[in-house]
Amino acid sequence: MTPAKHGHGPSHPAARLYAQEVQNGQMSRREFLGRATALGVSVPAAYGLIGLDSRAEAASHGMTPRMGGTLRIQMDCRALKDPRTYDWAEMASEARGITEYLVEIHRDGTLHPVLLAGWSANADATEYTLNVRPGVKWNNGDDFTAQDVAANITGWCDASVEGNSMATRMAALVQDGQAAPGAVEVLDPLTVKLRLLTPDGTLMFGMGDYPAAIMHRDKIGTSVADHGIGTGAYMFEQFKVGEKVVLVKNPDHTYWGQAYLDRVEFLDYGTDPSAWLAGADADEFDMTYETVSDFIDIFTSLGWVESQVGTSATVIVRTNQEAEIDGTRPYADVRVRRALALAVDNAIPLELGISGRGIESNNNYQVAPGVHPDHAMIAPHRQNIEEARRLMDEAGMLDFEHELISIDDDYRKNTTDAVAAQLRDAGFKVKRTVMPGSTFWNDWTKYPFSSTNWSHRETGIQTLNLAYRSTAAWNETGFRSDAFDALLNAATAIADNTARQATMAKLEQMMVDEGVAIIPYFRALYRHAKEGLLGAEMHPKYEINIHKLGWA
Amino acid sequence: MALFILRRLGVMVASMLCMTFIVFALTNLPANLEKLAKTQAGTRMTDAQVQSWLARGGYAQPMLRRYGEWLGVVPGHAGDASAGETAGRCARAAMQAGLDRAPRYCGVLQGNWGYSTKFRAPVGQVIAERLARTGVLMFWAFAVMVPLALVIGVLAGMREGSATDRTLSTVSIASTSTPEYVSGVIFVVVFASSMVGLKWFSGSAKSAVDGITFHNFTLPVATIALYGLGYIARMTRASMAEVMTAQYIRTARLKGVGFRAIVLRHALRNALIAPFTIIMLQFPWLLTGVVIVEELFVYPGFGNALVEGAQNNDIELLMAVSVVAVVVVLITQLISDIGYALLNPRIRVT
Amino acid sequence: MDPLSWTGAPGPWLNPALGVAVLALAGAVVAHALARIFASGAQPITRRAVWVTLGAVALGGLAHLAGALVLAPDDTGIIARISARFWPVWAALGITFALSLALRRRLGLYGHLFENPMGMIGLGLVLFWVFTAIFADLIVPFDPVADVISGMKNKPPGTALRAPEPGQYGYYLLGGDALARDVFSRVVMGARVVLGIAPAATLFAFMVGIVLGVPAGYLGGRIDTALAFVANLVLAFPVILLFFLLVTPEIIAMGVPTYMAAVLFLFPIVFLVILWNARFHTRPVLRAVTVGLTVLVGGWLYLGLAWDADPLGLISIPGGVLIVFVAVVFVNAPTVFRIVRGLTLDIRTRDYVAAAQTRGEGAWYIMLWEILPNARGPLLVDFCLRIGYTTILLGTLGFFGLGLPPDSPDWGSSINAGRGLLQFFPFPPLVPAVAIMSLVLGLNLLADALRQESLRD
Repeated sequence: MTPAKHGHGPSHPAARLYAQEVQNGQMSRREFLGRATALGVSVPAAYGLIGLDSRAEAASHGMTPRMGGTLRIQMDCRALKDPRTYDWAEMASEARGITEYLVEIHRDGTLHPVLLAGWSANADATEYTLNVRPGVKWNNGDDFTAQDVAANITGWCDASVEGNSMATRMAALVQDGQAAPGAVEVLDPLTVKLRLLTPDGTLMFGMGDYPAAIMHRDKIGTSVADHGIGTGAYMFEQFKVGEKVVLVKNPDHTYWGQAYLDRVEFLDYGTDPSAWLAGADADEFDMTYETVSDFIDIFTSLGWVESQVGTSATVIVRTNQEAEIDGTRPYADVRVRRALALAVDNAIPLELGISGRGIESNNNYQVAPGVHPDHAMIAPHRQNIEEARRLMDEAGMLDFEHELISIDDDYRKNTTDAVAAQLRDAGFKVKRTVMPGSTFWNDWTKYPFSSTNWSHRETGIQTLNLAYRSTAAWNETGFRSDAFDALLNAATAIADNTARQATMAKLEQMMVDEGVAIIPYFRALYRHAKEGLLGAEMHPKYEINIHKLGWA
Repeated sequence: MALFILRRLGVMVASMLCMTFIVFALTNLPANLEKLAKTQAGTRMTDAQVQSWLARGGYAQPMLRRYGEWLGVVPGHAGDASAGETAGRCARAAMQAGLDRAPRYCGVLQGNWGYSTKFRAPVGQVIAERLARTGVLMFWAFAVMVPLALVIGVLAGMREGSATDRTLSTVSIASTSTPEYVSGVIFVVVFASSMVGLKWFSGSAKSAVDGITFHNFTLPVATIALYGLGYIARMTRASMAEVMTAQYIRTARLKGVGFRAIVLRHALRNALIAPFTIIMLQFPWLLTGVVIVEELFVYPGFGNALVEGAQNNDIELLMAVSVVAVVVVLITQLISDIGYALLNPRIRVT
Repeated sequence: MDPLSWTGAPGPWLNPALGVAVLALAGAVVAHALARIFASGAQPITRRAVWVTLGAVALGGLAHLAGALVLAPDDTGIIARISARFWPVWAALGITFALSLALRRRLGLYGHLFENPMGMIGLGLVLFWVFTAIFADLIVPFDPVADVISGMKNKPPGTALRAPEPGQYGYYLLGGDALARDVFSRVVMGARVVLGIAPAATLFAFMVGIVLGVPAGYLGGRIDTALAFVANLVLAFPVILLFFLLVTPEIIAMGVPTYMAAVLFLFPIVFLVILWNARFHTRPVLRAVTVGLTVLVGGWLYLGLAWDADPLGLISIPGGVLIVFVAVVFVNAPTVFRIVRGLTLDIRTRDYVAAAQTRGEGAWYIMLWEILPNARGPLLVDFCLRIGYTTILLGTLGFFGLGLPPDSPDWGSSINAGRGLLQFFPFPPLVPAVAIMSLVLGLNLLADALRQESLRD
């Protein structure tokens, strides 16, 4: 079978199977678009497969912005560094006007080429061909070529770089902490071939994630703030960490695409939302990065335009089964963990933590119904205080004082407080400890009992691999089960959606039975912008691409 | 007097040494270094990665040695330039100055305040810029607060128990009972919010960085001034009231000296001794009060640098912050002592 | 159930009457002021008018407060219900005032307070919060931390519970906070936290400041230099920096707060021992008794508070509170030291000190029994002010996420938690703010009255 080319011709066979599932009502349109485009099917073609016109989607984005104008965005202004080590989406948004990406993920979960002209994958997703966009230039005058792409991908695979989170996304290319020999090959100046060690249908999603900014081939491992070399239309005029970042159109560079605004200012108002409100009231910015909690309604009532997007972002309240307190491991006992989960009605943290802005989880597993395409429905969670007390009593832990730790930050703190209050209502002893953000993350995987926020991922299997595999660096629950790992391997290898769901159901049930964590809800994210600003809709991963923003 | 001031200057230097060493020791505790590594190179690093990051940055050397380096009395860690390592303080200093070879000493004594890991800029530059902004804020706060407080205090204290006294005392008590984080918020709600709709002033001082206006600076200044006002006024009043009952005032009154003359010529000078000390001691307190207001009104000044530095364990920034704090406090105390001596003839400086 | 109104059934006729009375009072005050300036002959009449109208207003207010006594439960409003919840406080206040008034001639300085109306108001406010702290358990209708009731988030005062359980109070009298907890219960229970920490911490700071400040000012020389050096060093530490450095879990784990407590908590014992020793050095028996008792009781408290090693197991202080307590004492003590030292410098040049020196009195006697009593006026003022400051400081720490645990009902934390949404849900931060203000106001009035009365002696 000939592999499908992005942007033309017949589609990937799997994509056609997915299209059939959509027609049968087994898969949502959104899930389909995400999965089909990940396999290299172009967006118009993907829409076509399910009998829709992509222009309908385009129309929803509205008009083309006019040229020129200044935009002021409220956002934390963080220091830039090696993009591979970005740990905040804000960093990527600051630099996105200069360093662009191979692909981008749209609000609806679809993948679109940016610095690539297209890509294709073979049938079992072990070989990818990347077609580099021709005619793109670096702002130092060099041509953007396949060499750049290969150098970046090789750099992503370098697990020896501290904090390089791309290595886990590129895991299928990595051998002994480096790109496997022959895994990344430049075929010609506009073509790169990737040979995966294991099948991975989510590889291209990794390339659309915020640490995957494309650097000049000679500047891998540097911060763009130091040299300003990129392919984007903008350049830094001012870069003050914690204060403001100003970008203006680069007059010496011919941008390959379209950019509207002349000037973009990112303004840092700190982490207190009431300060953002004060700034908005004083007309000091035009767009928020993310509007949170009670402030969502308030910004809307001020006449700002609200946009929202459902995500799989969540706050989990988890125990660490391996943590020792005074020489014992209180959470090694599954009865204790189950008791904690049973004492909580997940609707309460949803209401008190995030004012109901999101959906209640189906049960305590980290796969989001309606968002993750591989979510499988299992029996829903029911609060049962009697059973919780019985289990806790049986474990002899009724008098144990649980110390529940959280970060000192609006919704995470409130969610955790709501859980703590319910545990107390069930008669368990709970002590709350709140840490400032600066100290909280030092030991976030090791706290015996704490809450953690997880950001959005496109598929459920991605999250489970990151957080619950025994060997995962981010495994904060101390849940290490061979059976679970085996199921994870099986699920990761399944390309087909329906087939994966069956395995996912087992994984989900296992998480519930083991009481791995309390996962009360999945959040919707909100953003506000002034009337007349185009392209400012909230993105599941908070992305702000200043090339696309503009005034009507 | 010259000797006295010289000695005090000596004390200042000793204080700075003690203080910077304490701050250095606290910020260089292993756990805090780990925090630094994680805020710099990624919140979710493994322990081994933290160790290697610290070693590369020169943080693994003995603490005393690095304090000496910071001070500039021990040759600085130059970093291995051939390996492209630029983390050593001398290497960075050389890079900034465009020198080929790193200088041997590059501490505070050589005028190198180091590099802020949070703001990604030389500390000297960060501090100078921030201090100037906070200086402006403090100047206006003092300009509003001190004259007002002295007038209120003297008016209230000169006729103790009168209706004027009761009214002014109530005003100053109400002001001392209203911390910045209450008054600031109420000000914003009343004068700057869409809900009340007055919108006379701005609830954010962010734009004051580019130029102070009545619109964007009134609320922060009022917030700081209001809180300090009552305390100084109360102290002035207490002091004034006490002086007014003193023997020599009674004598003067018995001699038939007019009330106005008594207040202005006899009472005022002695009554201002205590408030003078209090006002001077207000400086360091204001410095912390300023932190709240800067956070509340998003004004990127010195207080904001302190909070950011502490939250990110930005060692060299915190060191500079503490040096500045010590200098400000000790100078105000010196002025307070000299003024105290000049105002009170019964005390002699020896 | 319908939400409660502020004044309940009598509101429709009592409120207009009260309004008229308030207007009349305002008119009378203006008339009195005018009479003082222009027509002193009319003063007796206007003064009477002020008193009469004031009485009417007070009567109206009292009627609201006492509503619960005469009205059917369904007719009472929020004010009457709150007043009813406070019954132990009213009872205690009544008994205290009645006894004090009856015995005021025999009560010295405290008795004199009852001749000073502002002093009585100040004392009343302070005692109100003290009794509230003591009887908090009887007053609160809900648990201030654990009772998170669905549907009550950010609700206005007087909101009825959706589905009250049998025996549960039916309303959130002052509304719900952002976590659906009862604002009224939190403020009442917050009094216990605030009054448990602030006055004690201030007292400790004063002990430290006095024990070090008086000798520094009186003796001068090396001691003075050394102490002033240390005090200035601590003063030069911005409070926030100090707390950011001290409250990290690593430093707590190293036991730094405990060591600081071990040093700071020693001062009160030292102070009392020196005090008794200086006073009674001519009367060996009395000296032995007082000093012995001090060491015994003080030592017991010291072991329990600082080292958490009370042999009887009665006294213990939670880790988080200890850190806050120690840090607050640590921050306040140098300021007190400065003030005491300044006062001592001033007073030691006075004649009566010279007289005592000529009499051959010991240095400690002069310091503690000649200088200190004469410095008590300014110190009392500062002490009362400083309790308020300490309360405010606790809130400041909460502002930066340091200090007490976040769900603590103390006023500072509550204000900080609610301030962001003040313009939309004013009650959660406003009620504790009023509480702080009234407590500090009471302390100030009390301090002022004490100063006046002590000067009059």
